[in-house]
Amino acid sequence: MTSFTITLANQGGAAFDVDHRKPLLQSLREQGVDLPYGCKYGGCITCAAKLISGKVSQKAQRALNNRQINNGYIILCVARPMSDCTLEVGVESHDKLYRNPFLDPLAAHELKADIATPLEAKK
Amino acid sequence: MTNHCCGPGYASPAEAIRAPREKLLYTIAIYTGTGIQKPDYLCTIDVDPESSTYSQVISRLQMPDIGDELHHMGWNACSSCHGDAGMERKYLIVPGVRSTNLHIVDCGTDPRNPTLFKVIDGAEIKTRTNLSAPHTVHCLGSDIIVSMLGDAQGNAPGGYLQLNKEFEIVGRWENSMGGIKFGYDFWYQPRHNVMVSSEWAAPNTFMPGFDLEEVGHLKYGREIHFWDFEKKEPKQTFYLGEDGLLPLEVRFHHNPDSSHGFVGAALSANIIHWWKDTAGDWQWEKIVDVGNEPHPEWPIPIPGVISVILLSMDDRYLYLCNWLHGDIRQYDISDPHNARLTGQVWMGGLLGRAPEVNGVKVTGGPQMIQLSLDGKRLYVTTSLFSTWDNQFYPEIRTNGGCMLMVNCDTENGGMEIDPRFVVDFGKEPNGPSRCHETRYPGGDCTSDIWV
Repeated sequence: MTSFTITLANQGGAAFDVDHRKPLLQSLREQGVDLPYGCKYGGCITCAAKLISGKVSQKAQRALNNRQINNGYIILCVARPMSDCTLEVGVESHDKLYRNPFLDPLAAHELKADIATPLEAKK
Repeated sequence: MTNHCCGPGYASPAEAIRAPREKLLYTIAIYTGTGIQKPDYLCTIDVDPESSTYSQVISRLQMPDIGDELHHMGWNACSSCHGDAGMERKYLIVPGVRSTNLHIVDCGTDPRNPTLFKVIDGAEIKTRTNLSAPHTVHCLGSDIIVSMLGDAQGNAPGGYLQLNKEFEIVGRWENSMGGIKFGYDFWYQPRHNVMVSSEWAAPNTFMPGFDLEEVGHLKYGREIHFWDFEKKEPKQTFYLGEDGLLPLEVRFHHNPDSSHGFVGAALSANIIHWWKDTAGDWQWEKIVDVGNEPHPEWPIPIPGVISVILLSMDDRYLYLCNWLHGDIRQYDISDPHNARLTGQVWMGGLLGRAPEVNGVKVTGGPQMIQLSLDGKRLYVTTSLFSTWDNQFYPEIRTNGGCMLMVNCDTENGGMEIDPRFVVDFGKEPNGPSRCHETRYPGGDCTSDIWV
């Protein structure tokens, strides 16, 4: 098994070795980390965490728009680690997750991936 | 409430109006999305003004797991099986929108202390029916159907889950979803062989929060659907367009002979009325249009967001909540083509008209309502949905939700917030929680359908 080390920056830097094939939510809960979750299929955002460093694969997520992704959010119930990672977890990490859409509209490139208009690629 | 000649409920809406006053309420309260790692729970609230615990939560039933997001709920039996002496209004079906778990709660054995009778695991529902995200629960005689807003991966349109009276999964209720794009609420009127369903969005769209921009990309609903109820398939669709963005709560007249019904279009902040004309064709029209309100510092005006509508048992008054504006309105719909505004009260909301009521800071706006059978007491709660609360009313995380009661004048119209009644969910033992839908042990104004 390939394993990576996941460090939880807002839980005293606690570190856990996890299987790269399993979703992070499952791996961390199995090791006793108390995390929020809801749908377990990547659609509801309840388990969102902030990726401070490292890389994950989260192709199955449907919850995040591009602004949230650009702000570092990942969906733990479907995200799998591709390297050692440092995360902030729980509602404490949600400072940039929610916005009032009447106060702070999204630009066309910040929508969800399936409807976003891509910014022109930088050369 | 089994002291009738026959089964549960009442022989008619007129008999329901004469039922004894409600003394208990069942209201769900959530911790999902709040940062408090506790399960959501069902509260029992004392509403007997003669009781020493009036206006207090007297018991709390925790669900087994965290993260359900309890939302709407329904009885195992209602007046639709009034003629069946073998049935009893005893169990509440309490779904978790996010988890898909269905909790069956025994409220009959000890109405002041409900207990968990059974859980139908969300994983089993997904596997056996390819459905998720349960919303509205209605009993159909002895069976139960639940609108499910997504497939097992949270994509629209989902379908309808059928349970038998032993709370076993029968399977999919509908024979076809036709061209329906989204699901949400439904109500049936069997004497017209019709069911009407409305549209929110795919769970993967609405659960993470509200991206207003997605409305223009057709990710949210704007149609209502008329079903052939016996054939269990949609027969006719009305495209409501800009007048009907996010058509949510569906209410038929309680009178089972009537074809009139209503839906609240949340984002358009309109009430849409439908009826069957003399030629037997369904027609629709807009009868209420709540204007958007400008905000001094925001680029986009604020719509009312009609999160709920409800009809009094005598079909005379329609109530609606503008969750973002902060008002509850009462309309006389004696003539359903001409709604007449007869009452209005303010609590919370983004316009700042009533930030504090009865000594409690109201965080959120009027959201779910439930009306007493006699039409005189309207109970109202403030939380809509955890992620949407977090967007529009972020202080709800520390303040929690609250419940108020509005006294309604059924003779002349008019409403007034009762100064003696408030339940502050900011002071719950495990920390601030958020209250949503309410039911009464004896049935209420959104639970019962007459066949």
